[in-house]
Amino acid sequence: MLKMMTAVLRFLSIMVLCLFFTGTAFAAKSEYRRTIEHYAVPDVVLVNQDGHKVHLKTYLQSNNPVVVEFIFGTCTTICPILSAGYANLQQKLGADVRNVKLVSISIDPEHDTPNVMKEYLKKYRAKPGWDFLTGSRSDIDKVMYAFNAYIPNKMSHFPLTLFRSPSDGSWIRIFGLMSSSEFLNEFHKVAKK
Amino acid sequence: MAMAAVVFLFVLMGFLPTCPAAERSTAPLSHEEQIRLGERIYREGILPSGEAVQAVVKGDITVPGTSFTCVSCHLRSGLGSSEGGVVTPPTNGAILFKPYNSSYKDVTNDKRYLPSIGQRVAYTDQTLARAIQAGVNPSGLTMNPVMPRYLLDDKDMALLITYLKSLSVDFSPGVSEREINFATVITDDVPPEEYEAMLLPLQRYVNLKNGSINLYRNQKRSERMAASMLVSSELMYKKMTLARWMLKGPAETWRKQLEEYYRTQPVFALLGGISHGDWKPIHDFSEAHHLPCLFPQTEYPVISETDWYTLYLSKGYYQEGEGAARFLNNSDETAPGGKVLQIVRASRESQALAKGFEETWRELGHDAAVTISLQPGEKLLEDTLHNALKTEKPAAILIWDESGAVPVLDLLSSDALRPARVLVSGSQQAQHFGAIPEKVRAFTYITYPYRLPQDDAIYNIYIAPYKKNPTTAGAYDLNLKSSFITTQILTSALMDMRGNYYRDNFFDVIGMMPDQRYPLYERVSFGPGQRYASKGCYIVQLGSGDKPELIKKSDWVIH
Repeated sequence: MLKMMTAVLRFLSIMVLCLFFTGTAFAAKSEYRRTIEHYAVPDVVLVNQDGHKVHLKTYLQSNNPVVVEFIFGTCTTICPILSAGYANLQQKLGADVRNVKLVSISIDPEHDTPNVMKEYLKKYRAKPGWDFLTGSRSDIDKVMYAFNAYIPNKMSHFPLTLFRSPSDGSWIRIFGLMSSSEFLNEFHKVAKK
Repeated sequence: MAMAAVVFLFVLMGFLPTCPAAERSTAPLSHEEQIRLGERIYREGILPSGEAVQAVVKGDITVPGTSFTCVSCHLRSGLGSSEGGVVTPPTNGAILFKPYNSSYKDVTNDKRYLPSIGQRVAYTDQTLARAIQAGVNPSGLTMNPVMPRYLLDDKDMALLITYLKSLSVDFSPGVSEREINFATVITDDVPPEEYEAMLLPLQRYVNLKNGSINLYRNQKRSERMAASMLVSSELMYKKMTLARWMLKGPAETWRKQLEEYYRTQPVFALLGGISHGDWKPIHDFSEAHHLPCLFPQTEYPVISETDWYTLYLSKGYYQEGEGAARFLNNSDETAPGGKVLQIVRASRESQALAKGFEETWRELGHDAAVTISLQPGEKLLEDTLHNALKTEKPAAILIWDESGAVPVLDLLSSDALRPARVLVSGSQQAQHFGAIPEKVRAFTYITYPYRLPQDDAIYNIYIAPYKKNPTTAGAYDLNLKSSFITTQILTSALMDMRGNYYRDNFFDVIGMMPDQRYPLYERVSFGPGQRYASKGCYIVQLGSGDKPELIKKSDWVIH
């Protein structure tokens, strides 16, 4: 009986470890999952890197393409890649940079104050048009729920990029990490729509 | 982009550095200097030339290495991380140059459950350079494109490799096969009952941990269960010790006393600790020895964005000042351009509160507050106050005064020029909430850096074991709860370290922990480099009566 229990426990711990390993730096697949979605953006007021209030609903209703990602300032792996995608797009757009709204929303609002966010954007050489937003925990939760991106804990977050089409307000939802060309490709699809 | 193409072309053509990079033209530099420069590449992504390292991620995104540093994913200890579904393997000196089968014991060689991921032969200087430049491990496996490919020349690569060879090689002091040694620092301005309250949960934890060693020795079933279930089962038979480092006399002499304790018995880390003075001398000692200090009980932490070796529960009094500034920043009267009048007693605590307010207020883009300073024992005269209201027409008043806040509130209640909001510190007034007159409660706002008492009551169960002790039966909840948090984080950290007893790994694993809900604070949260676990501070008002209820007037974290 004892032997069996130990075996069961060992099996369970192996299963847990297997789950843990599915995303290892060697094993992860490069493909991403793409869907078209419709979201109802909540009417919340967030704060940007300059300490200015941002009414999210109206802010996202733009005649230009909008891209939304959920990140946090002290994230180690995923967010730097997502942010590098933004920085790269801004670089490629050149003078057209103001025609695109790039939005990073903090999932660590406790730590991500306007000052922290400003420093973060500086690190990625962000140009105007890229805003980093924070807010109260309850408002951030509402935003995450609205985009089907609820992350109860920042350490278990996942890479998600959302492109809003200016023509019909629909969203392209990309689950996974894109290369720069893939990112540009998705962006142009939305921009031309 | 073009640079990336060149690198990949070089890889295809086999033009990778063919001789060990570490041996190349670094001769004029001392070993220490090479390590220092290599560390800068690793931690900051800055080359000896002062330029940023260039890197390519996800195949074709060219980025400055300053935003994609090695330390970002592999962390300060080099032991790696796991975040967002990506596991970053270790790159420290002790592991790189040996075959690697991941650090998870028992299961790693079982091919049924794990493919060849994370398994490789030992690195050499040459294969390591190839991995860093081209993302191919020594077993020929191409790494996930989230691992940046760094464009380093041979000379800079040699510096980085020299550094990696020195990174987390031998376990830190304070750990042996049989023991892990900790200490707690206590200064002589703290009464024995209070420091005993800080010690109780820590000592109980150590006793339970060491008691389990006997259990495992005597009961084989328990031993097998623990060996199967503990992530870090080598801890099972490791005894834990907790020394008391008692500091006496003036703060200027503490450093010398700490050095002597450390020389006699080096410890792996400092746990808890308590002082009513400035924690800075102990903080500086930790920085100098790279000795982690977990959650000292102090109202005067060092406020720094770059120091590494002390993890505080909060910013103490400073955090209340910060909360007041954020609250006023959001109120209509004070934004923008509204003046703030500060009444500050010349005491350490009032000045810490004022500093927290002033620095945050400035950061939020406001003009400096007008300050009236009060010497110890000095009474604020009605005329002085009235004239200040007349001249400055403040939109809000802050009273940072441990002894004279209530009389000032009293004066304000009958002054027609009083603004709508007057703020005081909850930590300073907590003992006297009932003594704050009813007539001032409508305009008095209080900074309160804890979960409200009525909401925290459900967490009292965690300190119930200490309530049988006559000393702590009716007091010291703050000390007990703070130490309880320390034991919880310590438990997780010791498991997450998985037997890699490097001090930097201790704080690295804490930095990767999920947010937690514990007694005292609505949320404690972590992250690499985050050094104040609780970030919140409520603004409250008082209900009526002798034991007034605290009524929330803000979020826990105010933006």
